[in-house]
Amino acid sequence: MTQPAPLYIIASPRPRIGKTLIARLLMEFFHDSGRPLVGYDLNPREPALAERFPVLVWPVDIADTRGQMELFDRLIADHASTKVIDLGYGPFDQFFAVMQEIGFVQEARRRSIEPIILFVTDPAAATVHSYAQLQRRLAATFVPVHNESISLMFAGEDFPGTRPEYGMIRIPRLSPLVRGVIDRPNFSFNAYMAKRPAGPTEVHQWIGEVYAEFRDFELRLLMSRLNASLGAAAIANRKSRRTR
Amino acid sequence: MAKPTVIVVGADKGGVGKTTVARTLLDYFTAHHVPTRAFDTEAPKGTLKRFHPDISDIVDVTSVADQMRIFDTLSTTDASITVIDVRAGLLSPTLRSLRDIGFLDAVKKGQLTFVVFHILGSSIASLNEIEDTSAFAADGKYFLVKNFINNTSFFEWDQATHAAYFRKFKDAVEVTIPKLNEMAYEQVELASVPFLTFVANKGLKGEAANYSFVLRGYVRHWLGNVWSEYDRIKLNDLVASGGVAPSGPRVQVVGRS
Repeated sequence: MTQPAPLYIIASPRPRIGKTLIARLLMEFFHDSGRPLVGYDLNPREPALAERFPVLVWPVDIADTRGQMELFDRLIADHASTKVIDLGYGPFDQFFAVMQEIGFVQEARRRSIEPIILFVTDPAAATVHSYAQLQRRLAATFVPVHNESISLMFAGEDFPGTRPEYGMIRIPRLSPLVRGVIDRPNFSFNAYMAKRPAGPTEVHQWIGEVYAEFRDFELRLLMSRLNASLGAAAIANRKSRRTR
Repeated sequence: MAKPTVIVVGADKGGVGKTTVARTLLDYFTAHHVPTRAFDTEAPKGTLKRFHPDISDIVDVTSVADQMRIFDTLSTTDASITVIDVRAGLLSPTLRSLRDIGFLDAVKKGQLTFVVFHILGSSIASLNEIEDTSAFAADGKYFLVKNFINNTSFFEWDQATHAAYFRKFKDAVEVTIPKLNEMAYEQVELASVPFLTFVANKGLKGEAANYSFVLRGYVRHWLGNVWSEYDRIKLNDLVASGGVAPSGPRVQVVGRS
């Protein structure tokens, strides 16, 4: 059986923390590998991700039930595509409240979809508190993301991952001088990576590092699944030998 | 054998979601494997019968023939619980005729269990009527239900109204039915199936259905909250004094708020 495609939720209770940038990077990273991909932009007022990927990303407003059905019913039904959700700080609370109320994580697991919440951290006490509280409330898997452009230091003890073996994702700092380059409306990381007439620039290096972080993360996910299934197989094997 | 139980669900006035409460009761007993039958007094429409056609009959509680159909069969029916959904305005006439036919005496002698769910509106229809019905509230099996299921009809819970009720019904126990997402409510209406069947994503005949997962989630969560109210008032113990264990598939309450 093929593994169902993953579901990534990029979340933070605070604005201007790099969520949409990380969602853009993930979209292009997955797109580059040629897998079926769909994104959801939950920023109803400024769907920046949907504007950049008009074909791949659906803007959804989950303020009303219709929008919630549009999102969650589709997430549950779609086994084939890798899913990326850019969760704005506006609908942050409501998203998790609905998720909890309708039992989304349990149903997703039942269909072997593992929702992974990429939580973009920052040192504010409110963020630390929100992370701890959500992790208590929801049975989902939380993976901390450290955006070095937001804070230099990362306090691992404040943001413990739900699955330590998944580790965390580090987005290296990009100097503000070249930040303008990647913010251009039609900028594509993959297109930029493809051409380097005068050798790699700082931006090339940065994209390479981010993609390496993503690759490493996926590898850790794969390893952990492999370990789990090997463990299960070993147990089954031992059992069958005993019954023989 | 368990003592026969009669549950009357009534209200002073219409449009307070009385039938919805009756439906949650039927689902509750279904989940607890308690054989239950229901009588719907909304002739000729019969909302309760639409949702639970197999166990519901439409009757006129004020007619002697139908009273016989309900009460003379109490000891012979397989159902240990009889739920009667009493049309708005008929609560006190019904209670009065129950007294007249000697039903309440049988309750006093402990031959029957009698439970009243009185669904409150946001305002009082008639104070006299409350006076009438409060006479039946003596034994603590009288439940005053604040129904918030369809919050739109409840702009504001009037404190004075509330106080007036609870002065009259000193021994009554309060039950709160929380609000259900409107769209989820509407979809269950359209599907015309019990809440439990909707949650299980099935049609009326048990066939697979295709309801929205989000809406099913809302209904499951809400039904779980309603049932925990019923558990709180020990409804199952009350009606199963003959010994039906409170077991069976429970609606999972996911993260109560």
